[in-house]
Amino acid sequence: MVATRDESEMTTTTTTIAAENAHVDPPPRNNGARVAYWLIAPGVVWMGLFLVLPMLMIVYVSFWTQTTFKIEPILTTKSWVTFFASDTYLGALGTTVRIWLTVLATTLLVGYPSALFVGLFVKNKTIQTVLLTLCVIPFWTSFLIRVLAWRPMLGKEGAINLILMKFGIITQPIEALLFSDLSVVIGMTQIYCVFMVGPIAFMLARIDPNIIEAARDLGAGFWRIFRTIILPLSMPGVVVGAIFVSVMVLGEFATSAALSGRKVNLLGNIIVTQVGSLKWAFAAVAGVILTIVIGAVVAGLLRIVDLRNEL
Amino acid sequence: MQSAVMKPALALYTTLFLVFLYAPFAILAILSFQTGPEGGPQFPIIEWSSYWYQHLFGLAPPSRVAPLPIGESLFRSMTLAFMTMIVSTVLGVMSAQAFRSRFKGSGIVFYLIVLGMMVPGVLVGLGMALVANFFGIDRHWWSTAFVLHVVYTFPFAFLVMLAIFNRFDKSVEEASWSLGVSPARTFRKVTFPLIFPGVLSAMLFAFTLSYDEFSRTLFASGRDLTLPLAIYGTFAVEIHPNVFAFGVLTTLFSFALLGVYAILMSLSVRRARRIAIQEE
Repeated sequence: MVATRDESEMTTTTTTIAAENAHVDPPPRNNGARVAYWLIAPGVVWMGLFLVLPMLMIVYVSFWTQTTFKIEPILTTKSWVTFFASDTYLGALGTTVRIWLTVLATTLLVGYPSALFVGLFVKNKTIQTVLLTLCVIPFWTSFLIRVLAWRPMLGKEGAINLILMKFGIITQPIEALLFSDLSVVIGMTQIYCVFMVGPIAFMLARIDPNIIEAARDLGAGFWRIFRTIILPLSMPGVVVGAIFVSVMVLGEFATSAALSGRKVNLLGNIIVTQVGSLKWAFAAVAGVILTIVIGAVVAGLLRIVDLRNEL
Repeated sequence: MQSAVMKPALALYTTLFLVFLYAPFAILAILSFQTGPEGGPQFPIIEWSSYWYQHLFGLAPPSRVAPLPIGESLFRSMTLAFMTMIVSTVLGVMSAQAFRSRFKGSGIVFYLIVLGMMVPGVLVGLGMALVANFFGIDRHWWSTAFVLHVVYTFPFAFLVMLAIFNRFDKSVEEASWSLGVSPARTFRKVTFPLIFPGVLSAMLFAFTLSYDEFSRTLFASGRDLTLPLAIYGTFAVEIHPNVFAFGVLTTLFSFALLGVYAILMSLSVRRARRIAIQEE
């Protein structure tokens, strides 16, 4: 409410303040850079201490010596050797990549046509906003609750099996729906597809309708227009969406824990279980590998489109 | 373009997409009215009742289902979200203000800040736990977990403020300076009221993200549970419809929060419009 007062006072007080401060020198243009450094310093220090330092610490600890219940700062590559010699850990790396690629494909498949509709076909700005808001509303429910909500959907006695049986499409409930790869993919697709829809719809909405109009006047069909105009112009949106989805899916562990019944182990799940049994060095190795994977994926995606030229 | 075919087809697809987004939540809401304590988290509904809502508030008679530990964890989560909101927004406004003058090294600093929202929570959480162990610091929700929440939400606040400052009319500030008003006072009296809608959005982002955040909290918070951690705890054991009832209530709470934001926002927009009219 302070702002209310400030606002109303603003116009009237500017002149009086000006009179009071007549002796103050005009804008300190030359030391603007110094002011900028003071303003940015707290944020940089914060990120340095609480983001960069922890990440370096993971790399450092991954070379520590792990004994049964503690770690000692004696450098060794033993944890790394253990990781690459273990089927469980390598399997988790494989599962992570497999689930990530699947979810990336499904979010794109589910998200692109919806984004196409919202961004390009809906001309009315109000309806466009309403549709995008509808996509975002589920975000105001706890992430974990949204994950859990899939259990009564997919379970053996869940809603989907119930509906399918009622319509006589199946006679036996499909058990593979829950506690499988499929349930994890379905859950993640629902949670993350909005991050795909948003950026793509944003890019599509920026396409000049005259270009499409011109192409149509010249006799191009829908697929031709889609291939040569819409798809290339929406690529930056796809890349941004893919970066969001990739980063989040690769760092996941809760969805797989809740919907796979511990059958699907991602690198994130490995980290959680290792920390749970105080195997910090192993957790750190998994952490470093996860960081490398994420870094490679993001760098690869940025190769496709140079975002700084596009946005 | 074959709009005649494409448009209805895509409209149908989008409708199905929205059903896909909302269906689990509808099912969850329905099942939260399952009878208790014998009714499980599945169909059919044996009898409609508000048992699990009473159970949540400790009003139901004791049964084999342990109540959710929400009282204290809710308080912790709210406090944590509030602290995070204040610090993130202050840092976000300061950093965005700094970025208005292209200082040396701004490119790297930009990526450093944005990194905070990109690095998965499980990684920073692990790193923070290791740092805390290394320096012998105790882990608490209000210390190690709090700083990580800010690492996560500060970039959002920063980006929101950056977008606001990009569309900011500099001449108002310059007018104030040329009238001899000090930069600090100009910021308080001229700049801040104008960027206030952005500040509100940054606060909303920071609060909701922190309130719901748990992968960072998991390793960094020590013994005391925050709300998402309490929910995560139910993953391991059998789930009961009380979690669903709780989901419905938290969603209603979020909407209330969103409502407050919408009201504040429309008030500040209306105020800005009124002033614009006055100036004319």
